[in-house]
Amino acid sequence: MTYAAYMNFFAFVGIAFLVYLIVPLKHRWVTLLAAGVVFYLVLNGFLTAFLAVTVVSVFFCAKQLEKLQNGFNAKKKELSKDERKQLKNAVTNKKKAVVALAVVINLGILVFLKYYNFFAGQISALWQVCGFSGSMPVLRLLLPLGISYYTLQAIGYVVDVYRGRCAAEKNLGKLALFISFFPQMTEGPIGRYQDLAPQLTQGHRYTNENFTGGMTLILWGLFKKMVISDRASFMANTVFKDYESYSGTMVVVAVILYTIQLYTDFSGCIDIMSGTARLFGIRLADNFRQPFFAKSVAEFWRRWHITLGTWFQDYVFYPVSLSTPFTKLSKASQKHFNKFFGAFVPTAAALLIVWLGTGLWHGASTKYIVYGLYYFLLIMLGMLFEPLAVKLFAKTKINRKGKLWGGIATVRTVLLVLIGMMLFRAGNEGDFFNMLGMAVTKFNVTDLFSKQLFELGTDGPDFLVIFIGVVLMLVVAILKERGHDVLKSVATGRLPLKWAVMIGLIMAVVIFGAYGASYAPVDPIYAQF
Amino acid sequence: MEDLIKLLNEVKPGVDFTKENDLIGSGILDSLSIIQLVTRINDEFDVEITPLDLVPENFQSAETIYAMIQNAED
Repeated sequence: MTYAAYMNFFAFVGIAFLVYLIVPLKHRWVTLLAAGVVFYLVLNGFLTAFLAVTVVSVFFCAKQLEKLQNGFNAKKKELSKDERKQLKNAVTNKKKAVVALAVVINLGILVFLKYYNFFAGQISALWQVCGFSGSMPVLRLLLPLGISYYTLQAIGYVVDVYRGRCAAEKNLGKLALFISFFPQMTEGPIGRYQDLAPQLTQGHRYTNENFTGGMTLILWGLFKKMVISDRASFMANTVFKDYESYSGTMVVVAVILYTIQLYTDFSGCIDIMSGTARLFGIRLADNFRQPFFAKSVAEFWRRWHITLGTWFQDYVFYPVSLSTPFTKLSKASQKHFNKFFGAFVPTAAALLIVWLGTGLWHGASTKYIVYGLYYFLLIMLGMLFEPLAVKLFAKTKINRKGKLWGGIATVRTVLLVLIGMMLFRAGNEGDFFNMLGMAVTKFNVTDLFSKQLFELGTDGPDFLVIFIGVVLMLVVAILKERGHDVLKSVATGRLPLKWAVMIGLIMAVVIFGAYGASYAPVDPIYAQF
Repeated sequence: MEDLIKLLNEVKPGVDFTKENDLIGSGILDSLSIIQLVTRINDEFDVEITPLDLVPENFQSAETIYAMIQNAED
């Protein structure tokens, strides 16, 4: 983002905030809706029509679901047990058809706009391998901002109404606000209707706690994004673009810097957006929980991009795992293997779908499919070796919950995540395998002391600023892991502390922020998904 | 209840399920172990636990899991 883009955004937030406070409490949600419409129209123009289709389709599908359920509830008391069961099955089938319609419309738009050219290319290649001529046309498709986020949020809402976890929204405007709340539009987090909608539609009065809490979060996010992330991006970009010209050591340093860049970019932007929402008295769902302290890859994904992980868990993994075909698969596996594999095989099959989906959600390329499969494989190996690990720990009397093993497990997880990050950033899967080979076979510690390290876009002072920034983040993360939320303490603390921290962060962003003529602007990475 | 405790120990060995009452919060049960557990419960207790039942409140302790099974039997 350019300096001007930040200024425009915060000027927009400032105006929306003032209008929000002026409007009567009851109608304050309308301000948020109007802000969302303006925000989206300015950034997306005519592509806003896709968002409108999502809102309208989901609104009517949810209302239809509620109507079907209410109809059943009204009739069921007059029916015998068998009749009730029969009617329930009929209504459930109708409800499933309505959910399917909502999913087909919304996932259809997403799949067509985001994946058509990728799949068309794959099909054409396959077609030609089989000896046929011709190919599917390549279309010039524009992707609406945030479609990967708001589509999942909208589908989640319909499924929750189907499951009876929330009532259908009766006001189209209020539902539109839930799907298009402007701080969430670029990078999430993916919200749940039950948690978010009541907060959005209820008017909030100004409170000092919300204002300072929001401002602290915004400044902390800006610090992460502008001071650390944008600075780390320069060397990562240089090396990844032309990795064959550098040593394995430079590749390793670039991967570490990219990991720092991605984490501080994504979590920084989420902090800025959560802080913005907080100004209006709204708390967005947490998207990160100190991911680099995870002791396993599965745990890492419970701490990284949490709202995407829980979305796939609730709306893909659980229903697929417990569906009839998977239950049959479980029984067949139990019959042919044992109880462990009876549960393992369907779980693995469902996880394969989840990880293919997670990989493809990030982008339309085989690289992202390999990325999903990489984590799938790691989690499968973890599950397969768990019984053996339990026996080994019992036999060797090593305390699995002890600090020593915890430290080893954390380092191991970070290394596996770094490999995942290399794949995530590499141009394609071929580049990834080459870079991995270089990192293993051409790593030389002495290169770390060579001049070249500071000549690849991120110079010595940049490294020092990144180092200090990362240490600061680490201290905040360790304290949060131990139950002390520093940012919260600042927001609720004494006035001198609040101002000292806020002025300190402003100074850090202004003095050390990577903006201006010497720095190329870096767009938020997750906004492209 | 005894059968359930036995099953829980098979899915997640080394945990005293008679005492633990925050299985989700403490991270003992994650989504993978929940699916393994539910697949086995459906099979061995001859009930149908559906995705609708997969909410954290139902998996906090052996007792809440047992209550969910009894509910499904009804």
